[in-house]
Amino acid sequence: MTGEARTETRGRSLSDFTVDLDVYSGPYEWLLALILRDEVEIFEVPLRELVALYLGNRDPERQDTLERDTDFAGSAAALVLLKSRTLSPAAEAEAESAEDEALSPEQLAERLSRYLKIKRGAETLRERLKANAGFHPSGHVLRARPGRLQINQERLIGAARRTFSRLTEPPVRHLGPITVTLQDLADVIRTSLSRGPVSYEDLTRDMDRLNSAVAFAAALSLASEGRLKLSQPEPLGPLTFEPVERAERMS
Amino acid sequence: MTEDPRPTSAALVEAVLLVSPRPVTAATLRSATGLPDRELRDALAELETRYSLEYSGIVLRQVAGGYQFATNPACAAAVERFREEARPAPLSSAAHEVLSCALYLGPLTRGAVSAVRGVNSDAVVRTLLDRGLLAEVGTDHESPGSPALLAVTDDFLAATGASSRDDFPALDSLVGPEELARVRDRLGSVGETPAEPAENGEASDESSETA
Repeated sequence: MTGEARTETRGRSLSDFTVDLDVYSGPYEWLLALILRDEVEIFEVPLRELVALYLGNRDPERQDTLERDTDFAGSAAALVLLKSRTLSPAAEAEAESAEDEALSPEQLAERLSRYLKIKRGAETLRERLKANAGFHPSGHVLRARPGRLQINQERLIGAARRTFSRLTEPPVRHLGPITVTLQDLADVIRTSLSRGPVSYEDLTRDMDRLNSAVAFAAALSLASEGRLKLSQPEPLGPLTFEPVERAERMS
Repeated sequence: MTEDPRPTSAALVEAVLLVSPRPVTAATLRSATGLPDRELRDALAELETRYSLEYSGIVLRQVAGGYQFATNPACAAAVERFREEARPAPLSSAAHEVLSCALYLGPLTRGAVSAVRGVNSDAVVRTLLDRGLLAEVGTDHESPGSPALLAVTDDFLAATGASSRDDFPALDSLVGPEELARVRDRLGSVGETPAEPAENGEASDESSETA
């Protein structure tokens, strides 16, 4: 228990260190967390000022001074590393490093001049943004009132046509007149099964293609209802319909 | 049964502007109100006088290529208290530079922004995209990976009180020839020494300011 408390204390020796910077004001530990979560930009954090704040608040008489100094030095070093990495040129710029080395003074001057102009432009923007910060636009978004919308008649007709029109039905003339129903064929199968198992081939021997197909559908339907069993020892092999005993069905 | 009085031109424009959350262009106003050019101009002039900083808590602004009603900055504190919201934190120097790049050199890629500034700008760009001041407006098909092209938005123009990008001073006018000559002289004077220190002196200004 004591060990845990000590561990916790050791781990959070800087918990009472607060900072007051332009970009952030509050506990130092929170600042570290915000930086790691990219909610505070590291290059906006003045590290020199941060160190000065720590040294200004340092109490050499405290019992945990060594721990605090160590923790602060560790976190500050990490911030320096993070900041130096962030300030490193971007990947694209790195790819051009060889080219950079070969820049002539004229090219370098050109690049610096452009950056100087951009920096001046940034200062102009800062002033303009500051001067206009107090304007709050009339930003209320009004919801359209049902029934008062302006309706485009042509679009309405088009939408109605799409909604109410039917797709062209596929031609079925080649099927001939449909004279059989699933129920009829199911009855035929049931009758045949009352005499024992029957093969699909025997059942449909005298039927046309339509009746054969409907018989197959009827058999599937009866099988799904548990009224017969389909038996086909091998794929595409002979198909046999077998009756299901009443007791078996009940179970 | 009395007939409704016919609204004035200014009233028509005023009504349309009131219900618009975004700046309304003159062409849209003309179409919505049915007013001819001259009457529309007169109506806008009348509204500009009526809704001016001196006389009203509402002002008529000409921003982002259109007209928009906004509150008078003198009343900002009361408005913010009423809406119970703080004004957004001011942008950082880095953010201003990125906006400046997009305004003057845009549309351009994140890589191009970083190249101009000499430092990685991805985090700043992300913040500006979140705040609606920058937007991805296309892709650079000529670059590997077709990176997105960034440009300033209408919200940016409204935030800076600009009607269009032309409202900003030209890039070349921002730095005088004497100052540019001084930069060149400095580079010339360090001709024997590597040019790197001079570049660092300028381009990594923000690091020396803040570190």
